[in-house]
Amino acid sequence: MLEKTVMSTTLERLKQLFVAKFDSDIEELNLTTTLEYLGLDSLDMVDFLFDIENEFEIKIPDQEFRVRTIQEIVDAVDRFISEQRTGVSSDKQ
Amino acid sequence: MKRRVAVTGLGIISPCGNSIDEFSSNLMAGKSGVRRISSAYSTLLSVKIAAEVDFNPFNYFTKRQVSTMDRVNQFALAAASQAWKDSEPSLDAKEKERAGVCIGSGMGGGNTIEDLYDQLFKHNADRVRPLTVLMVMNNASASHISIAYGLSGPCLTLSTACASSANAIGEAFRQIRDGYVDVMLAGGAEAFLTYGGFRSWESLRVLAVEDPDDSSKSCKPFSKNRSGLVLGEGAAVVVLEEMERAILRGALIHAELVGYGSTSDAFHLTKPSFDQQARAMSEALREAGLLPEDIDYINAHGTATRWSDPLETQAIKKVFGDYACKVPVSSTKSMHGHTMGASGAMEFVVSLLAIKNQAVPPTINLDQPDPECDLDYVPNIGRKGVQVNTVMSNSFAFGGTNAVLVARKMKG
Repeated sequence: MLEKTVMSTTLERLKQLFVAKFDSDIEELNLTTTLEYLGLDSLDMVDFLFDIENEFEIKIPDQEFRVRTIQEIVDAVDRFISEQRTGVSSDKQ
Repeated sequence: MKRRVAVTGLGIISPCGNSIDEFSSNLMAGKSGVRRISSAYSTLLSVKIAAEVDFNPFNYFTKRQVSTMDRVNQFALAAASQAWKDSEPSLDAKEKERAGVCIGSGMGGGNTIEDLYDQLFKHNADRVRPLTVLMVMNNASASHISIAYGLSGPCLTLSTACASSANAIGEAFRQIRDGYVDVMLAGGAEAFLTYGGFRSWESLRVLAVEDPDDSSKSCKPFSKNRSGLVLGEGAAVVVLEEMERAILRGALIHAELVGYGSTSDAFHLTKPSFDQQARAMSEALREAGLLPEDIDYINAHGTATRWSDPLETQAIKKVFGDYACKVPVSSTKSMHGHTMGASGAMEFVVSLLAIKNQAVPPTINLDQPDPECDLDYVPNIGRKGVQVNTVMSNSFAFGGTNAVLVARKMKG
């Protein structure tokens, strides 16, 4: 239950980041949407990773972010949050 | 093989309007784009005035595009898109290989550099925006334009301070004239109205003081009470096209670019040499096959600094002799400010509009004659209904670079 709540929060926050950054319609963003479908290239993703790192207060190491769908971004972000959580909860959560 | 070069498209983003029509009518009406600096840090500055562009990038670009471009790139691409639309050169894949871009800018992505340092030094950031390199690099504007229109010929960037975009147009002209390409988008852009930019210029002690009665009247080229230049920003881009191609496709030809003079003072970084300014004018006339008496209008560099206006006056006298007192010379920087790397292209556009409108824009705020500046500077009121067939645009830069462009009305 807790895990599901974290996941939906991550997805919602990711959606907001997408809409702020790109020209995506929030309606077309769901877990199965692919980055290819959204027309994001490698440069877009490098830029977007910076926003993700800021939003979730995580550090994504180089070479460790191979994702194809929004589901995979959510999973990776949740994994980094979990791995990098120091015990002090973020003020954004 | 020397080929002729037509100007078939014009585009502008300026403190006096973001379309050619608005820009043209504002300048003829003597309407200034100079005003109080709008930024939050303005209270920290000694300089109080600038010629800022009223520009909302989201009216021109998608969010994604905006996030990948410095303000200077946005100006350049917006001006290029106007010029492209004006020209409608409709190139096929093969023709795009013979089409290129040449853009001048003094400082490139100045806003991005400032944001970068702000984050690093003021906020102790340990990482910075991933696209920083791509937004700071001076060739980004040219590349964005090349990508937008799929032009795969030369994609060049020239940086010669305030002559950058005059040089860019001149060198693009040579590319077409000498047969390397058939079409070039050429011009320049600048967006360096940043806190650091203002501070840097302040320290040089060349900026105008604010007019106590009316901020918009602070830039006074050739007037005895001139106090310096007013910093501006913006972009101007033109489509240059090989003449036969332009005629064959029935393009609207604004003018023929006929001469380009390019010299260096080889003397001092900031102190100008009127000899080399004069030589740049003479070289442009020589290439154009024109006599000084053929020129109907000169758009002066006319920055309104104490020393540069009399020197340019001397240079014009050296080239034009007795005719110097007869040819109308105006500094439209009095209205759009000194747009630095964009100024050469912006004032080339002003010169072409003089041909198009058969009208000469004024030098505004010229209320006190200076004995050292004794030409016809078209004081305060533009002149309509005059014959303007041939024009010259002067650009003289810090570093000692001089660039002069000469264009003439299409015959027939």
